[in-house]
Amino acid sequence: MMIDTSDLTKTYNGRGGCRGITLQVPEGCIFGLLGPNGAGKSTFVKMLVGLHRPDSGRATVLGQPLGRPEARRKLGYLPELFRFQDWLTPVEVLRFHGRLGGLSPKETRSPAFRNRVRDTLELVGLSEAANRRVGGFSKGMQQRLGLAVALLLDPEFVILDEPASALDPIGRYEIRSLLKQLRSKGVTIFLNTHLLEDVEELCDEAAFLYEGELLASGPLDKLIGGSGESGDGGVNWRFRLGGWLPETWEELNDAVGDALSAMMRLVESDDSGNAFLTARVTDREQAGYLATLFIRSGLTLYESGPEPSNLEAWFVRMAQSRRGGVPQ
Amino acid sequence: MTMYISATFRELTRKRVFLVTLILTIIFLVLFAFGVRELAGTDGQNQDSPAERLLNSMVLTVLGIFFAQFLAAFFVLFTTMGTVTGEQENGLLLAVAARPIPRWKLYLAKWLGHAVWIAVYSTVLFVSVVWTVHGLAGLPVLAEDMLRGWALFVWMPLLLLTLTMLGSVYLPMLGNGICAALLYGFALFSGLVEGVSAYGGINPAVGKYVLLTGLILPTDSVYRRSLYELLGGADWAGLATSDMGPFSIPSVPSNAFLLYTAGYAIVLLLLGCRAFSRKDL
Repeated sequence: MMIDTSDLTKTYNGRGGCRGITLQVPEGCIFGLLGPNGAGKSTFVKMLVGLHRPDSGRATVLGQPLGRPEARRKLGYLPELFRFQDWLTPVEVLRFHGRLGGLSPKETRSPAFRNRVRDTLELVGLSEAANRRVGGFSKGMQQRLGLAVALLLDPEFVILDEPASALDPIGRYEIRSLLKQLRSKGVTIFLNTHLLEDVEELCDEAAFLYEGELLASGPLDKLIGGSGESGDGGVNWRFRLGGWLPETWEELNDAVGDALSAMMRLVESDDSGNAFLTARVTDREQAGYLATLFIRSGLTLYESGPEPSNLEAWFVRMAQSRRGGVPQ
Repeated sequence: MTMYISATFRELTRKRVFLVTLILTIIFLVLFAFGVRELAGTDGQNQDSPAERLLNSMVLTVLGIFFAQFLAAFFVLFTTMGTVTGEQENGLLLAVAARPIPRWKLYLAKWLGHAVWIAVYSTVLFVSVVWTVHGLAGLPVLAEDMLRGWALFVWMPLLLLTLTMLGSVYLPMLGNGICAALLYGFALFSGLVEGVSAYGGINPAVGKYVLLTGLILPTDSVYRRSLYELLGGADWAGLATSDMGPFSIPSVPSNAFLLYTAGYAIVLLLLGCRAFSRKDL
């Protein structure tokens, strides 16, 4: 496990922060940490990289207990609201971090390191600004430099706190491509972000924090119901029907009974007899029962299947319900 | 460590505060040289006896070193008051502290980085003042006295640096700057009060006040000892410093007190390392 925490707690005078976080992040995946503002995500991340001391609980990062420099040796970290020294150039910033990362002065002056610096700056799209002072950089350029610093020493594990927040759409696309590239090289990535489309596109696993508590964690498709399943085990099923008459809705409701009719919703219908219905069913068999019922009622079933779910809906649902099942 | 020394040098040379300090220092030294030249009358019109010239040169040295330590102190305050919380607030520390380097080493490296350049700046000030008075007003300078005076003159801002850095772990940048400046001001003020009160013999209450402020921040005591050593110690210093009003030095800190300042600096550094290691960034 890259991260293994047990009951990890950090509060600020008893308030805020995060409480009792038990989480495992496996090797080689992109893991997304989600949650609304003030959920405790940054507190959790700061504990992992040794910037905050936990109140209680235990945790290991790369197999090393928290706070040990050894735990940070193979770790790349992009903080959230960070800045680099205005008076340095990107090349100087990278050389400085090379030294902080344990390289000797000789090593940071070697051609190999110079090449490494050049390649890293090229990777994040800062080659042309390599010798300009950081003080004149835009927020997006600073963000790219932060990413370069995180990736400089070939880390096995990268923790990125809002990596694309200051970037334009092209920048975000480039960062997404870069992260996929890193994953293909076996680098594990822990992503703390508000950009749900990034999580949806990139992450293999995710966790949801709310008001300092871990509400859900696991493979992303299971969490958001990529196959129509949702966190509570139910499935949203859709039916596209033909031969729909104005009185059909009432007839169907009478036929299926109260419990099932409460789950069905007529989304739209038109004068040509087309209708679109959704139903929240417990399993595929229940959906099959409804399909049979529609056909027996004289309707034509054009389309039937689980409703595609998305992360945003899951996120909102989780935040609103404040409780969720942790998938097994 | 060498990395932080060079990083601090880059920071100092590329930030405007350094340029402003440099310009003000040059202005001070030029004005001081002009004043010394006028007061000492080096253009051949000086009719004073050698003893009077010696006394005058010592008085000029006292004034020059007094303002030089003032400049050194302000250089320390403005460059180091935000070392920890300032860098924490603007996000500079986040990427640095996450690197595989123990926090106490980071703290000591920062201290050393600043200490080296503060020592260089203080040395330039000290040498410039002494050389000016020596060259224009004929201050006799013995290498041994000058070395002792210089070492203590450099030690004074380093003590202030140690205190200011410790404060920067706990207080926000501005608050720490104000707090350190006030403490430095108290220490300086107590020295001036002691000088004034020396005419009628030191009042016991004033003596206790001076001792207390000296224990809390021994910068003024170290400055006075530095001046005492520079002016020839027991042989000559009393000549000039016994009758200079607020600039008089009625009592000189002992060697034991200097030992106390060494302990003071070590304890403050250790406290700073400990506090920084436990601080949430």
